[in-house]
Amino acid sequence: MNFLIGAFKPACNISITFSDGKTRKQVPMKKENGQTVMVPLFQSQENIAGKISIEPFQGKKIEHNGVKVELLGQIEMFFDRGNFYDFTSLVRELDVPGEIYERKTYPFEFSTVEMPYESYNGVNVRLRYVLKVTISRNYGASIMEYQDFVVRNYSPPPSINNSIKMEVGIEDCLHIEFEYNKSKYHLKDVIIGKIYFLLVRIKIKNMDLEIRRRESTGSGANTHVETETLAKFELMDGAPVRGESIPIRLFLSPYELTPTHRNINNKFSVKYYLNLVLVDEEDRRYFKQQEITIYRLQES
Amino acid sequence: MMLNGAEDEEKWLAEGIAGIQHNAFYMHQALDSNNLREALKYSALMLSELRTSKLSPHKYYELYMRAFDELRKLEMFFKDESKHGVSVVDLYELVQHAGNILPRLYLLCTVGSVYIKSKEAPAKEVLKDLVEMCRGVQHPIRGLFLRSYLAQISRDKLPDIGSEFEGDAETVMDAVEFVLQNFTEMNKLWVRLQHQGPGTVREKREKERNELRDLVGKNLHVLSQIEGVDLEMYKETVLPRIVEQVVNCKDDLAQYYLMDCIIQVFPDEYHLQTLETLLGACPQLQPTVDIKTVLSRLMDRLSNYAASSPDVLPEFLQVEAFAKLSKAIGKVIEAQIDMPAVGAITLYVSLLTFTLRVHPDRLDYVDQVLGACDKKLSTIPKLGDSRATKQVVALLSAPLEKYNDIVTALRLSNYPRVMDHLDNGTNKVMAMVIIQSIMKNSSCISTPDKVEVLFELLKGLIKDMDGADVDELDEEDFKEEQNSVARLIHMLYNDEPEEMLKIICTVRKHTMAGGPKRLPYTVPSLVFSALRLVRRLQGQEGDIVGEEVPATPKKIFQLLTQIIESLSIVPAPELALRLYLQCAEAANDCDLEHVAYDFFTQAFVLYEEEIADSKSQVTAIHLIIGTLQRMSVFGVENRDTLTHKATGYSARLLKKPDQCRAVYACSHLFWVDDQDGLKDGERVLLCLKRALRIANAAQQMANVARGSSGPVTLFVEILNKYLYFFEKGNPQITSAAIQDLIELIKTEMQSDSATPDTASDAFLASMLRYIQFQKQKGGVMGEKFESIKL
Amino acid sequence: MVLVLAIGDLHIPHRAADLPPKFKSMLVPGKIQHIICTGNLCIKEVHDYLKSLCPDLHVTRGEYDEDSRYPENKTLTIGQFKLGICHGHQVIPWGDLDSLAMLQRQLDVDILITGHTHQFKAYKHEGGVVINPGSATGAYSSFTYDVNPSFVLMDIDGLRVVLYVYELIDGEVKVDKIDFKKTATTHATH
Repeated sequence: MNFLIGAFKPACNISITFSDGKTRKQVPMKKENGQTVMVPLFQSQENIAGKISIEPFQGKKIEHNGVKVELLGQIEMFFDRGNFYDFTSLVRELDVPGEIYERKTYPFEFSTVEMPYESYNGVNVRLRYVLKVTISRNYGASIMEYQDFVVRNYSPPPSINNSIKMEVGIEDCLHIEFEYNKSKYHLKDVIIGKIYFLLVRIKIKNMDLEIRRRESTGSGANTHVETETLAKFELMDGAPVRGESIPIRLFLSPYELTPTHRNINNKFSVKYYLNLVLVDEEDRRYFKQQEITIYRLQES
Repeated sequence: MMLNGAEDEEKWLAEGIAGIQHNAFYMHQALDSNNLREALKYSALMLSELRTSKLSPHKYYELYMRAFDELRKLEMFFKDESKHGVSVVDLYELVQHAGNILPRLYLLCTVGSVYIKSKEAPAKEVLKDLVEMCRGVQHPIRGLFLRSYLAQISRDKLPDIGSEFEGDAETVMDAVEFVLQNFTEMNKLWVRLQHQGPGTVREKREKERNELRDLVGKNLHVLSQIEGVDLEMYKETVLPRIVEQVVNCKDDLAQYYLMDCIIQVFPDEYHLQTLETLLGACPQLQPTVDIKTVLSRLMDRLSNYAASSPDVLPEFLQVEAFAKLSKAIGKVIEAQIDMPAVGAITLYVSLLTFTLRVHPDRLDYVDQVLGACDKKLSTIPKLGDSRATKQVVALLSAPLEKYNDIVTALRLSNYPRVMDHLDNGTNKVMAMVIIQSIMKNSSCISTPDKVEVLFELLKGLIKDMDGADVDELDEEDFKEEQNSVARLIHMLYNDEPEEMLKIICTVRKHTMAGGPKRLPYTVPSLVFSALRLVRRLQGQEGDIVGEEVPATPKKIFQLLTQIIESLSIVPAPELALRLYLQCAEAANDCDLEHVAYDFFTQAFVLYEEEIADSKSQVTAIHLIIGTLQRMSVFGVENRDTLTHKATGYSARLLKKPDQCRAVYACSHLFWVDDQDGLKDGERVLLCLKRALRIANAAQQMANVARGSSGPVTLFVEILNKYLYFFEKGNPQITSAAIQDLIELIKTEMQSDSATPDTASDAFLASMLRYIQFQKQKGGVMGEKFESIKL
Repeated sequence: MVLVLAIGDLHIPHRAADLPPKFKSMLVPGKIQHIICTGNLCIKEVHDYLKSLCPDLHVTRGEYDEDSRYPENKTLTIGQFKLGICHGHQVIPWGDLDSLAMLQRQLDVDILITGHTHQFKAYKHEGGVVINPGSATGAYSSFTYDVNPSFVLMDIDGLRVVLYVYELIDGEVKVDKIDFKKTATTHATH
């Protein structure tokens, strides 16, 4: 919302710096205007501390009713523009009402902040974390400054990670058995698997493995579902015969995946699917979709 | 615009090449600027051109080769980490990000090659991964070329014995596994190629498929080149796996090609040690596979191997190669019910060739092969196929060529049985081959039994066969055949007279069945063969005691009479007469007067009753006189009878000059110029005078008929005879008589009516020169001639 | 120098299967300028064989020859020699040299070549030479017990003729050489 304020001549310059800003990892974040900026990366339970300095312009004094900094976790639904749902909101009062004549710096700290959800920038929904500094005033609008940061939460490898194995087919036409080595993959994982052709009576042209992302927002009648195909990976060229087994090896790293999000704050979900697609010579498609879980593996 | 298929293809190929060149251009730029990402991008795009389905294998190969060359440059780039800064391990993953499988796998193989070279990972692991990943391409042509690429780049990187890639953990076994797997997959793809496209172009497709076969076969070649594949490994792993694939693919084209490939690329000694496996596969092949050619090639190779060195022969014995081959062939023939006769026989020919080369001493093997062939032939109603017939002839000829001796072949009990399957015409051809073999090798057939067997084989020539169309006979061929039989009779020989007689009787038995057309050819040979025996017995006459001896000249002469008499059905009186006279002379030498007399009688009967032609009569008379002149066995009475007859015949010849000459020749019947010879000067003179009378009569006849006298040559000839007997001391021939004769001749020659005759002139001149010579010689002869005045 | 092969009484196939292989290997095409054959070949195959050795073939008729077109006798001139050929069964007594000499006088030839007896003979008399090349196959004969296969090669050079007699004795080829000179005076008397 900065640009709205920017329409006026700002009365002061507010800067937010993190105490470990020089060493903390920065990650790219796509802004609404399409620009990518680098922002610091945090994870849940971390201390978020820093300094906020307010510097009035050219000897102007700022009369205010108090200065505060908020740490907000927001879910923004695009079809419901303007509506933010703050699932996290922490406040630190920085100054009692008074006047600021010159540059003034306030340290702040949010200790072991609970940030259960990862930042997410989807088709219809965005989950963001932001630090918001507010200088409240009696006259005129309050002066606000925002600083985005990204949260990523890491998981250990799941203790149970079964393979996905399934036999599917169309009677007297096509009968296959496929196997993916796991049901849960981390973001840099590689999908290993095999497809066995048990019966082939159609003339297959090729076979692809797709990674599909299904983002659903809202609930009930207002549920919006967006499905994107993130990867289309050719597994097989030509027609196999009965008994043939085709290997699968799909590296996930080239694709822009996120962890699976399930029912985040009752607002949205992001799920991933592996879609096995067989195309015959008449371009008919035969497919079978299987959900997989994507998680962010703690980097060692 | 419509293009036809070929033009379309050309267009598509051109487009494909253009696509490759275009992307290769950018790839080169990327390589030059060490830009890995771009290099991967454009190489993948370039390789995408290989995804086409529009090209025939031939054109696809062109495209493939273009890409292949470009990939070599990419590989060089991959090798140099300093250029792109990515470790080969990461590179190996990186190329797998490509979304399209075909470019992805070509790149993977290319990096894989670098990966193995770098030794960052064991070669076997990389190879295993590559060969496994390539399964993703199931399109036959694209898959074959991809795997061919894999085979190509991996050839020098197999962990073979002595290779830099060999290690504790990776052995030649891994190399073999890799090649076998790639081979198996390639073969499956190749076989599947036949199901591509519509059924109407099957023939074209099979042709195309055949063009690709060496891509598959190359793998077997690679296997054969792997140092570490020793006999043990070949036997335990390599061959069984190949054979398994060959059998399982159930495709005749592939089966035929691969079986042949196995036989050609692996060493002979391996084949010998793995015969069971190799042969065991044969009955399992598709019925349409040309197994006979496969087996024939195998046997040819083994035969050559056996011939290469005598040291390898024990191997053959040790593995019982013959028994195995024989059994396998039996099974194949049994399994392939529809195999045409020619196929089965060709197999037997190959087996026989093998046997003759490897086990020349095992006649029982040879007979066994013939027996098996006979059995097979017995199931075929009629051998109508000319190619099959040819093969049977080849089968029967092989032992003859090998042993150069029919005698060996005659011991083969199944030989005649096989020959019996031939049609009449071919049977004769084969019979001729047998005879020619005997002739060429001067083989002597020396027992009656063998002669019996031989004539059984030759029966097509010896007598008319059932169903043979007599009209079809070619006169020239028939003559040649019968002359060959006649020649053959001289090759049947035994030193033992009794055995020889048995042989003669056997030959007689068979040849007498030959009918009037054949007898004139066979009888003379038989007669002379018998006369030779007589000659031999005559030599040992002193030893012959008692009546029990079977082989006596007398008996043989009886036989001879019968043999010659058989000619009467032909009829061939002139020949018979000559043979009787020959026998008479032989009887004379054996001192058998009655026998000799009998032969003369036979000859005379023929002369009187059968020989009508005047020219033939003249020759016959000369032979009669000539023979009779040589006879010493006759007593006065018999001799007189025969001489009387002979002179009588002479005087009754049709033409006067012939009469004259025959009559003066008869003079010699009364004067035999040796110590104990008859010397009846008076009758000599009578003959000569009679000749003179005839000569006169001839002269007069000539005068009457032509108005001029005939040539005086007859007189000169008679003069010659006068001189002959004069010199021999016949008191009846006087110099005065000679003188008179000379005068007579001279007068005749000078007479007005004399026909100028330079020959007679020269003859007379020569005579006179001779008399002159004798006169000048002096001595007794000189004195004798003194009184003749010229 | 002219090479003339004199050969006869092969009696194939009546009395012999073939020429001895040793002879066959010696008799090769292209070496001989003339062949004189006294007869009794007896069949066309043998005729063709001789013809293959040398196309200039002169044959007279033997009593067993199937080809009745052969003449009873024949004369020809080679170089300075006049040669006569006759099988000989017409000349009685058979093989009698005096009678053969008579034939030679009749034919008025320098060299008379005859056969029939299967015995090699070369006989020089006042009128010239009488030659019998024997039987090339060693065919059976009533004249002699053991017939050795033989033939004669005549090397005619000017007034000289050298006879090479090839005889197969116990499997070995023996060669004899006999020299004849034609006395230029023989015909000078008239």
